[in-house]
Parts: sequence; C-alpha cells; structure tokens
Amino acid sequence: MKSVFNLRFLLALAVAIIAGYALYASLYWPFRTALFPRVIGVPLLALSLVEMLLCLVSAEKAREGHAVDFEMTMDVDPLVARKRTLAIFSWTLGFMALILLFGFTLAVPLFVFLYLKLAGKEGWVLSLSMTALSWLTMEGLFNRLLHLPFPEGWLFSLWT
Amino acid sequence: MLDAFVQGLLVVLQWQTFLVMLLGIVLGFWVGLLPGLGGSTTLALMLPFIYKMTPVEAFAFLLGMHSVVSTTGDITSVLFGVPGEGTTAATILDGHAMAKKGEAGRALGAALMSSLVGALVGAFALALAIPVVRPLVLTFGAPELFMLAVVGIAFISSLSGQGGRALLRGFLAGLLGLLIALVGQDPQAGVQRFTFSQLYLWGGLDLIPVLVGLFAVPEIVDLAVRGTSIAGELPQGNLGKGAWEGVKDTFRHFWLTIRCSLIGTFIGIIPGLGGGVAQWIAYGHAVQAARDSKEREGFGKGDVRGVLGPGAANNSKEGGALIPTIAFGVPGSSAMAILLGAFFLQGLAPGPDMLDKHLTLTFSMVWTMVIANIITVATSFFFLNQLAKLTLVRGAVLIPFILFLAFIGSYTSNNHLGDLIVFLFFGFLGYFMIRCNWPRAPLVLGFVLGKIAENNFYISTIRYGSSWLLRPVVLILVLLTLIVIVYPAIRLGKRRSAPSEKTA
Amino acid sequence: MKQLKTKLWILACVLFVIGTPFLALGASYYEGKTLTIVVGYKPGGGYDRYARLLAKYLPKHLPGNPTVVIQNMPGANSIIGANHIYSVAKPDGLTIGTFNNALATAQLTKVEGVKFDLTKFAWLGSLASDAVIMVIRSDLPYKTVDDMRKAKEIVIGTTGPGSSTHDFPSILKEFTGLNFKLVPGYSSSADVMLAIERKEVDGRAGSYDSIKPFIDRGLVRPVIRNRISAPGIEKLPVDEELTKDPKGRAIMAVNAAPTKIYRPYVAPPGTPADVVKILRSAFVSVTKDTEFLAEAKKSKMTIDYALPEEALKVVREVLNQPPEMAQEIGKYIKFGE
Repeated sequence: MKSVFNLRFLLALAVAIIAGYALYASLYWPFRTALFPRVIGVPLLALSLVEMLLCLVSAEKAREGHAVDFEMTMDVDPLVARKRTLAIFSWTLGFMALILLFGFTLAVPLFVFLYLKLAGKEGWVLSLSMTALSWLTMEGLFNRLLHLPFPEGWLFSLWT
Repeated sequence: MLDAFVQGLLVVLQWQTFLVMLLGIVLGFWVGLLPGLGGSTTLALMLPFIYKMTPVEAFAFLLGMHSVVSTTGDITSVLFGVPGEGTTAATILDGHAMAKKGEAGRALGAALMSSLVGALVGAFALALAIPVVRPLVLTFGAPELFMLAVVGIAFISSLSGQGGRALLRGFLAGLLGLLIALVGQDPQAGVQRFTFSQLYLWGGLDLIPVLVGLFAVPEIVDLAVRGTSIAGELPQGNLGKGAWEGVKDTFRHFWLTIRCSLIGTFIGIIPGLGGGVAQWIAYGHAVQAARDSKEREGFGKGDVRGVLGPGAANNSKEGGALIPTIAFGVPGSSAMAILLGAFFLQGLAPGPDMLDKHLTLTFSMVWTMVIANIITVATSFFFLNQLAKLTLVRGAVLIPFILFLAFIGSYTSNNHLGDLIVFLFFGFLGYFMIRCNWPRAPLVLGFVLGKIAENNFYISTIRYGSSWLLRPVVLILVLLTLIVIVYPAIRLGKRRSAPSEKTA
Repeated sequence: MKQLKTKLWILACVLFVIGTPFLALGASYYEGKTLTIVVGYKPGGGYDRYARLLAKYLPKHLPGNPTVVIQNMPGANSIIGANHIYSVAKPDGLTIGTFNNALATAQLTKVEGVKFDLTKFAWLGSLASDAVIMVIRSDLPYKTVDDMRKAKEIVIGTTGPGSSTHDFPSILKEFTGLNFKLVPGYSSSADVMLAIERKEVDGRAGSYDSIKPFIDRGLVRPVIRNRISAPGIEKLPVDEELTKDPKGRAIMAVNAAPTKIYRPYVAPPGTPADVVKILRSAFVSVTKDTEFLAEAKKSKMTIDYALPEEALKVVREVLNQPPEMAQEIGKYIKFGE
C-alpha cells in the first residue's frame, strides 16, 4: 500500500513540475504566445498540488472510484508482477538500444530471437521461424517495398 | 440527381472498376491492420499508379483502399491493443478489454458491424448532404470551431469516471493533454514553445507515436505480467460464437450506433477538426449512455458499447470528410488532403463542379465506400474466428511481435528516431497513469483538441473582436457544452433516487 | 594470319583501355543500383509529388537505368532532410535530395538547427520556379492597389510566421502602408481559402500554382505579385515597386529570390565531379522529356528547369547579404514549420 501511494504522489508531483516549468517558460513569451500555456498551466498546477495533497493525506485505494480505463491485473502475486514489469520494461528499452546499435533491419530479428529464446524459453523451431518471419517483414515490406529510411546502427558507423 | 445516383452505382459495378476497387480493398485491408502503415501515407504512395486510370477507376481504387482502413484498423486494436490506425485507438479501451475476457470474437463482431453501419451512415449522409453542403460548411467558421473544440473538451467529464477523485484525475489528464498539444512553433508570433532546441519538435508531437505509446505499452506490460495469452485462462468456447453476438449487440444498441455514426459524420464534415477527434467524442457519448455509476465504471473494462461508438464513428467520419473535400477542395482529414492530389492528377477541380457536372463521379465515390465496406466486413467475418484465436496464443510469443509493430508503427510517423523516443515516453506515461488510476482518454482528447482550440480562438478574437461570442451557432454550442457536462450528473442523480425509493 | 590476330588483339586492348573509363562511369555506374531521392516533407505534399514524378522518369535518362526511390524525411520544414543530405548521406551519387527553397533565408538568418551550407551542395538544378502572389476575394470592390490603400482594413488569413502566406503580406504591410490585418492560425492554406469563401477573411498570399484553380473559378482576384513572373500575372504590380524604402525593397528581393528555384535538387557535398556531371545531364534531359512534361502538365505541376549554376547564383545572392541586412530580414521572415 505504501508503495502505491508513493507512485501516485510521484506522478502528481511530476505533473506539477511540468506545469510549473510551462508557466516559467511562458514568462519570456509575448502575450498571445503565453496565454494558452498559462490558462492551462495554472489549473494544471493547482489540481496536481491538490492531488499530491490527497495522496499524502488519504491512502485509501478502495474509496477512489474507478477511472474509465482498464486496470492492471490483480491476479498475479505482487512480487512476481513487479519482477515481470521490470523485465518487460528492460526488454523494451533493450529493443531501443538494439535499434540504435544495429539499425532497425538487424535489430528486429535479433530482438525477436533473443526474446523468444531468453524470456519466452521457446523452442528452436518456433524462435527461428518467427525470427525469419520478422526479418522478411522488415526487409521485404519496410525496406524493399516502402524504402523507409533507417539510420545506420552506431556500431556500423564506427567502422566507416 | 436521381439518375446520377443510379448511374454512380452502375459505373462502379463495371468489371474494370470493380476489379480495381477490389485491389484497393485488399491493399486497404493490410494497411489498416498493420500499425504504422498509415492510410494517408499509402494513399500518397498509390497516387503515381492512378495516372493511367479513368477518374471513376482511380477513385474506386483509392476510396476502396481508404474506406476499408478504419474497419480493419479496429481489428488490430481489439486483438492486440495496438492502434492499427490513428483513428482506431479508442476501440482499444473496451475492445481489447473484451479480448482479455475471452470475448475477442464478440468485440470483433461488434467493431466490424458498427464500422459497416458507420460507413453506410457516412455514405448516406454524403449523398444527402450534397445539396446542403455548401451553406453548412460555410456556417462553421473559426468561432464555431473553437466552440466545437470546447464541446469536445467538455467530454472530459464523461470520460473521467465516477467520483470526485476520478474527476480530478480526469481533468489533470485533460489539461496535461492540452498542454502537450502546444509543443511546437506558435502560429501567432513564431515562437518555439517547449521544443528544447530539437528540430524534431518544431511541428509539435505527432498523434501516432503518442497513441501507440500510451495504449500499446501498458497492454504489453499487462500481458507480460499475466504471463498468459491475451484471453487469459478462460474456456475457448466463447470465441467463435462471439462474433455473431457482437453483431447482435450492434443492433441491440442500434440508436447508440446511429448516434455515434452521426457524430462521426458531422465531425468529418467540418474541416479543421481532424481525424483523431471523432472516435473519442463518440466514445465519450457512449459512456454517457451508461445508466448508473456501476455501468459507467464498466467502461474501459469491456463494455461492448465502448466498441460500438468509436467503431461506427471512425468509419462514418470518412464519408463526412469527403464532403468538404469534394465540394470545396478543403480536405476534411489528412487522407483527404492526399485525395485532393488525386483530383488534380485526374484533371478535376474540386468545387461546385463536382456537385454538378461530375455528379455521377461523386455518387460513384459514395457507392464505392458502401460496397467496399460491405465486402470487407463480409469477408472479414470468415476470418474472425481464426483471428480471435490469436488471443489464445502464448503471450511470450506475441509480445515481440506486438513490440515490433509498435516500434515500427511509431517510426513511420516521421521516419525519425524522435518518433521512438516519443513512443517510449508516452509508453511510460501511459503505464504510470494506469497504475495510478488516471484515465487516459481525457489526455488524448486534450491533445487532439488543443491546437484547434487555440488557433481558432485567436482567429476569432483577432478577426471579430468579441462579437463572435454572440453568434447564433456559438450560443447553441455553449448550451451543448453545458449539456455535455451536466447530463451524466443528472442521469445518475435520477437513477440514484429511484432505487432508494424502492428500498424505502 | 598471325599478324592479323595480333593486330586485332592490340586493337581490342586499346579499345578496352580507352573505353573502360567511359564504360565504368557511363553504363555501369548506376547499373543495378538504386538512386534515392530524399524529400524533406511527408508524402502527398508538393515537393513529394514532384519528386515522385521525377523518380518515374529519371531512370530512363541515367546510364544503367537504376531504380529511383523516394525516402521521406520530414521535419522542421525540411531542415532535418537538408541536414541529412549534407552530413549523413554518402556522397557516392546514390542519394540526392530536395528541400524547401527558402532554406537559403534560413541559413542567412542563422536559424537554430541549420547544419548545412547551401553553397557546398553539388547542385543539380531546380525543377520549377513559382511566383508568390496576393489575392483578394472577387466580390470586394478593390480592383487596384490604390483602391486597396484607401481601404480601412483588409483581413488577410495566414498559416503563421515562416510561411509565404504570412511573410509576404507582413512585409507588404510594413513597407507599403497597405492596411492589412493579419489573422494567423489557419492549419493550412486550403483552410484560408475556405475562410475566404466564408467571408471570414478577405484575401491571402501564396504560391501562384496552388491558387490558380481558385482564380480560374472566379473566387479570388490576384492583385500583387513578387518579382518572379508567370503566364497570366505578368501585368500585376510587383511588391518592390510599391515601396520607396530601399530597406523594404531589399527585404522583398531577398524574400522573392529563392522562389526562382522553387523545387531545388542537390547531391551531397563531396560527390565526385564525374558523377555529378552524369546527374546534371540526366536532369537536363529529363526536363526535356515529352512524356515527363505531359504528365506534369496533367497533374498541374509546372516545369521550369533552372540550371545548377543559376540555382547556385540565386543562393549566393541571398547568402551574401551583409549582416545588418540579415538581421533586418530575420525580423520579417521567420522560419517555421
């Protein structure tokens, strides 16, 4: 419970900081440019401070009411959930890193293979065929057909 | 006019035109399905191919492709929680939630059927509006557009959820969305706002990376955490039969579907509102249809009405958007802007001529939209059962695939690494919002309406001083705003008093 | 017999030695390769359409008939694309690019983020020139500039600073005393046109090519043009003639100059001279290709090819403005999205 309210507090705090920054930046702008940022920023700052306060004062999750949105699944043991969440975030950021290092065309099949093998612990046949499929899609559709500009991976530009 | 109506149909049914339209449909089917293969981009890529076609064939091809995109985009949204198109993101909220409850088939059936209804309403409106379109579009100037944006923003209250706290967070999300919309160069003085010296941000944030991040990432995280397939540990029986249930749902809530189609058409007709708006306002309206607070809270967690609304609206708006494009040469959406290029390629000038000399061609466009959607929905129904089975596949196998689609989908927005960074940023934001019980829909609403509100506000005030506040349509819209804000409260108030009488 | 054979061999060797350079550069340079045209805008816009048309006909005019493909790199009004062609694209003749003609002004006024020097590109020419004109709604009583001067206020809709819709009238307003009221904020020039139909605004400025259909339809009437002329608007008063202020004239001239090279094409700096030569001659011949011209005409794209030397001259003209001038220009011509 404590960790939950910490997270809510932090989000509200982050939003308050964003609102504050917006108001600060608008000080340097001509009137028309600054009007909307201020009209939006002031209530944003005020409301986020209210939210922060409420997070500190009352940590009752049950009374909060539900947002019109989905909620993270509760069926899984929190520790396992946390581990898996961190894992998936690391994989996502890892994918980004692969794209930066190797370039899109190589990063995609590489990621697919690594994830299926390491995280999914899937068999070789499945992993390799999915990898091949993803490589085909990247190369065939996005590269050959659409000619999307993919920047070279950093590793390759070190060479040339 | 009646003979042009009939002529339009006959001309589309000629075998060359029909064939070319089928080609467009096949193309559009895949474009909608794959995130990142945007409808507008593909339209632009297809332009060089229409050079040798006759006008009827050219538009049958392009519109055949384009009108299908919003339909199949809903499929990706429902199954994977990744928006297949920028216009199909709202379908994720309830559609994907239903998939997670094992009701993928039902959600798909509802999405497809409502898409068909929406497309038909949009096409019908296009046909009917032809005589009145000019005065209609000319009445909506900058003041009215500003008020429309305000009406849209008022829907935040409906999309927030029940209770004061939920409302607080809804407004926080909405205001944050409005603020984010201001990133980029300000059109009043040319000042760069919140761009941190990044060239990439000069034009502001693009909708697609924001949507894909906001919606796809939390779903991916949830899938990873659950460790199961999308549909979870539920019995498989439901999936196939579900599609038919979804169709029945569309007719069970027929008037809602029609109303949302009309909303979509209307928003499409008014140039300047853009494609992202219709689905969210329709969703907001669908939420308002909830009869009590318990039902309200069911939205976002698998209420079929949350699929019907956006499903209908994102198709009907295309019919609506065609109207100003044809009648004025002003595109009603970004895809229409490209379609305009097609007009010129064919040597046609959009404007009064299209409603006069070339009326048959205009009607052939209407028929193309109708027939293309019927064909797509009918064929999709054959695959629905197989598609729904994808929700039974192990999460670990789907995740790399979904991440791949999310990354590449965001990238094709600007072909720039900045797209990926925006995607990741909003991915994290979306996740934290879910964890902290902040609704995401208001954020998106604020984001798509922010610039419209600001620009039209300034145009109105610079041009008209303060007299624009007293224009008749503006006053009507002010009233509408109040109704939108107050309506859910009244409805719930009525319901609350009724049960308490029963228990008394 | 043996002598003949030897002679033939010698002849073959000689031909081989002389012919190879031509073969190597000519037929086999682009053989089996792909030429990429980088466009600084999203698909569907004017620059993109010109590039795609070019991509369709250019292969025929390049020895080796390579495939020509388009890559879109939008952002910051094509500054991102221009930066890419300048420093990231390999100077091997396999990448060329097109971007906003007004980048010369951006470089002159030292816009933040500009990382290129236009004079260092290997210029290939410009496919078209364009005139910027100002039009007002036909039902308004003003027929000449003098009429307009008498008006209390003429409302001009624009899309914001940094576009021709805004800069042209803003400079006119400042230096010619015309009573323009600028209303910025429209999302595109098409929206301004609609606003004109709605009588929300009275007029707009912009590229002649894009406004022409509306003039033909009778919605608007052209009243002023910049120094670039085009068939149909030769007789219009030129903006520079409407002011006596030399500073104003200079600013208008600098604003107008780049529109002469409205659709510029370049190769990255450092592309080998012989490759640039091949590309240049390809451009010259494609712009004479009758099929190319016919399709361009049908799609309402004017072709008015400017040679690389001319293009470079125009660019230098803009860039050689003295720093004080550059500062003044920066006040009126803001660069934007």
